[in-house]
Amino acid sequence: MTAPAAAAGPPRLPARIRAAILLRMLAIQGSWNYETLLGNGVAFCLEPALRALPGGVHTPAFRTAMARESRYFNAHPYLAAFAVGALARAELDGEPADRIERFRTALCGPLGSVGDRLVWAGWLPLTSLAALALFGWGAAAAIVVLTFLVLYNAGHVALLVWGLETGWRQGMHVAAGLGHPVLRRGPTVVGRAAAFVAGVAIPLALARVAGRERVLVGEMLLGALVGAVIVVRAQARLEGWRFALLVVSAVVLLSVIR
Amino acid sequence: MIAADAVAVALLGGVTGLDTVSFPQAMISRPIVAATLGGALAGAPAQGLLVGAVLELIALETLPVGASRYPEWGSASTVAGAIYGAAPPATVGALMAAVFGALIVAWIGGWTMVKLRQRNAATARRHQAALDAGSRGAVVGVQLSGLAADFARGAVLAAAAYVALVPLEAILVGRWAVSEHLTRAVLVATAAAVAVGAMWKLFHATAWARWVFLGGLALGLLMVGAR
Amino acid sequence: MTLALYRIDDRLIHGQVVLGWGQPLDAAFIVLVDDAIAGSEWERELYRMAVPPGMAVFFHAAAECPAVLARYRADPRPGILLTAGVAAMRAVVDAGGVSAVNVGGIHHRADRRQRLRYVFLSPAEEQELREIAARGPVVTAQDVPSARPVPLDELLHLEAAS
Repeated sequence: MTAPAAAAGPPRLPARIRAAILLRMLAIQGSWNYETLLGNGVAFCLEPALRALPGGVHTPAFRTAMARESRYFNAHPYLAAFAVGALARAELDGEPADRIERFRTALCGPLGSVGDRLVWAGWLPLTSLAALALFGWGAAAAIVVLTFLVLYNAGHVALLVWGLETGWRQGMHVAAGLGHPVLRRGPTVVGRAAAFVAGVAIPLALARVAGRERVLVGEMLLGALVGAVIVVRAQARLEGWRFALLVVSAVVLLSVIR
Repeated sequence: MIAADAVAVALLGGVTGLDTVSFPQAMISRPIVAATLGGALAGAPAQGLLVGAVLELIALETLPVGASRYPEWGSASTVAGAIYGAAPPATVGALMAAVFGALIVAWIGGWTMVKLRQRNAATARRHQAALDAGSRGAVVGVQLSGLAADFARGAVLAAAAYVALVPLEAILVGRWAVSEHLTRAVLVATAAAVAVGAMWKLFHATAWARWVFLGGLALGLLMVGAR
Repeated sequence: MTLALYRIDDRLIHGQVVLGWGQPLDAAFIVLVDDAIAGSEWERELYRMAVPPGMAVFFHAAAECPAVLARYRADPRPGILLTAGVAAMRAVVDAGGVSAVNVGGIHHRADRRQRLRYVFLSPAEEQELREIAARGPVVTAQDVPSARPVPLDELLHLEAAS
């Protein structure tokens, strides 16, 4: 099976519809559940575009498309913009229903995997660590928070806008868009940058938490080393936050029963 | 007094809890933001930032991947920031108590998110016939219902946690028997262990990442030494 | 090393697989067993986009398993085998050499009943899982490595648990 050829020179998605979709993309996970996952959210985001189907919202074509698009779907919420753009194009181009459904299913994995690596395991830690570095350097609370939010959301909004535009432009050929270097090599590049910033940020942030007196430094380093080995060795069974909860609970208990 | 504060914490906790997954995922739910905002509610954003930074180091490894269950840091960090922000500066044990409370609340928050997702599924099932018929009202209604429920979840969780943790923190701080230096040292070592472990998990498979990390670490240590 | 994980997941290649399992296992390749995808170039192209650079992905129809699995098991690098459904995994198990099967995600469908928050099974799929277990592999449900593996017997007696 091959994807249908894209029409030459796709129609431009009107700005009003694009803005409505982008705003709704921010709430795409609003009804996330274990049965249809993002499905209802995709229909919610597509609805402004589907209104442009011939005859508008009171037609069988609109209702059929809405029903189809509200079924099971799973992807990274930001990269779902690629799917929303491509599906809007496919629906408005009148692609056959079975082809849209196959295409929709096939998009789930790539958009989930690439998004998780690029955003959750790359961009988010990178910007979070940059904020921690600022904190460690002694920046004021407002500077730390605003820098993080502006930096993180610059990437967030750029992905939404680019994804929607690319999906709409390439329609069912969106695989080519997913081969863009930002998505292919981005996770590695961002990962390396995050690793570097982590090296800078972690000691700076910890030094500020520890305070100016710099006592028990050797004990802290030894404890951190032993703890890190435990967290890494037990990673499949013990998440880091559970390790932290165990240690902190033990200290709280010991401290108040002494 | 606690009741009035709890209302403010609930509203902020609702917003940060909603941001975790549902809307707008702008990361105001990250501990470094949510705890700072919580601290600001108590008039001490800098103290909120301090507890937020500790929690952020612990939260680095949390990947909100797909359907997996993970701690809900937004509401929890808001409460921790508000509680620690209200403590007099340099209160022995207060930071540890706030982190302890945040970890417990984040854990419970993860459970409430599972319940919310089950509730969203039940709502969608109730509207299944309309959804299958392509009703735009049903699609929009299910979405808005989920958003409202998530805000309520975060708000109730934050309010309940605040009301429970304010007296608990007072009890813990009143009985705290470990020195401030040792308390901080344990907290720093724990946060460092989890953060370094998170970095290893995230980047050990990325080519050159460990060398780049070591380069950054050398620079970071130099900067610490220079301060 | 060999195929370190045999996973049933209707989302196929996604974050839980690539990050959740792929990183702790140091997985270097994914074998995706699915008749429809193996026969569709544009779908294969999409799934190739889902893996990080440096991780290979191979596509096979279920009928090819007896001939090809030995090659992947002989690979010194760890790998993950994925199927979207129970039937395809049964074909993999029938080819031999599988000691454990991971049920990682089978989602809602009208004829399925919820067993875990990420596992919904039809009566036919339950029977097929029992038949897989009867051939020797240990069948457990587990979405991510840090979650508790739920044994098949327990899974089939759960009612919409969390």
